[in-house]
Amino acid sequence: MAITGGGNYFEDFQPGQVYVHARGRTVSELDNYLITLMTLNTAQSHFNRDYMARMLEGVYPERLVMGAVTMSICIGLSSEDLSENAIADLEYTGISFPAPVFHGDTLYAETEVLEVREADRPDAGIVRCRVTGRKQDGSTVFVGERTFLVKRRSHWQERDGQFLSSRLPRELRGWAEG
Amino acid sequence: MRIEVRRGNYYEDFVEGRRFFHHWGRTFTLQDTLTFSTLTQQHNPLYFNEEYARYLGYQGVPVNPLLVFATVLGLTVEDLSEAGGPFLGVDDLRFGVPVYPGDTVYAVSEVVSRRESRSRPGWGIVEWRTVGFNQRGEVVVQYRRRNLARMRGAEGQ
Repeated sequence: MAITGGGNYFEDFQPGQVYVHARGRTVSELDNYLITLMTLNTAQSHFNRDYMARMLEGVYPERLVMGAVTMSICIGLSSEDLSENAIADLEYTGISFPAPVFHGDTLYAETEVLEVREADRPDAGIVRCRVTGRKQDGSTVFVGERTFLVKRRSHWQERDGQFLSSRLPRELRGWAEG
Repeated sequence: MRIEVRRGNYYEDFVEGRRFFHHWGRTFTLQDTLTFSTLTQQHNPLYFNEEYARYLGYQGVPVNPLLVFATVLGLTVEDLSEAGGPFLGVDDLRFGVPVYPGDTVYAVSEVVSRRESRSRPGWGIVEWRTVGFNQRGEVVVQYRRRNLARMRGAEGQ
């Protein structure tokens, strides 16, 4: 009914909650090349396989998926549960990439809520959480704390519920009453 | 005449306090951010629905902050980490004013600290502070980043 989900307003988050996100994502060569190259990143370890075979005595067998790609995919996997109703991203900290990611690895994410607090506006609150990304063998590939501003149900849910119904085609207006 | 081109800086180049004005800058388009946000599954319509973004009070779909960060990072790579090794971490990453399609971002960095690696001879750990800003001089993102940096003598290892 509503434009966004109803279970992830500010009021729904409490410290200690751990969300195990529903979907995984196999990282493709496209993901890594597109984002690495569109962001003008010139580090060959992300796009030159021959160079990788020689770097650091060849400890990496393949091109590395760029850190911001891994981070973005892990945040993406968490986003429908955590930040679908977010108004703004404020901060990240404690970002690290404990194990390398290669094309073909599959990532999963979970998120622990660390803190909820008031914002400087009445219609939203601030959530701080820790997102952890793991790959298919269980090794951790991304950790980071994320802080975002999210709508309060008390101020937004009714309007969010009307977003689609107020735009219905004339012949479907009856659906809004249902 | 053949000119063997090498890119990047080494541990010895990262004297504490040294400042870098990074190359190029980059202008964002709406397509950039829609592609990025949908490819990485950022499931908040703020990042792919123009009407919803205005409903939240934005001027239009803002460039996804993760794309702003990744681009500012990308602009710094040739100066800071291209010749180096693995990325160790990022802290205190804070977003400033929203970035919109049509805006251009630039990046500058400063060496915060460096030390030699105990476990890996020939390498050191360098920390930089990077600031990304737009065409009006407004800060869009800033962060501290640590990386392994190769020493000159260790080249080829």
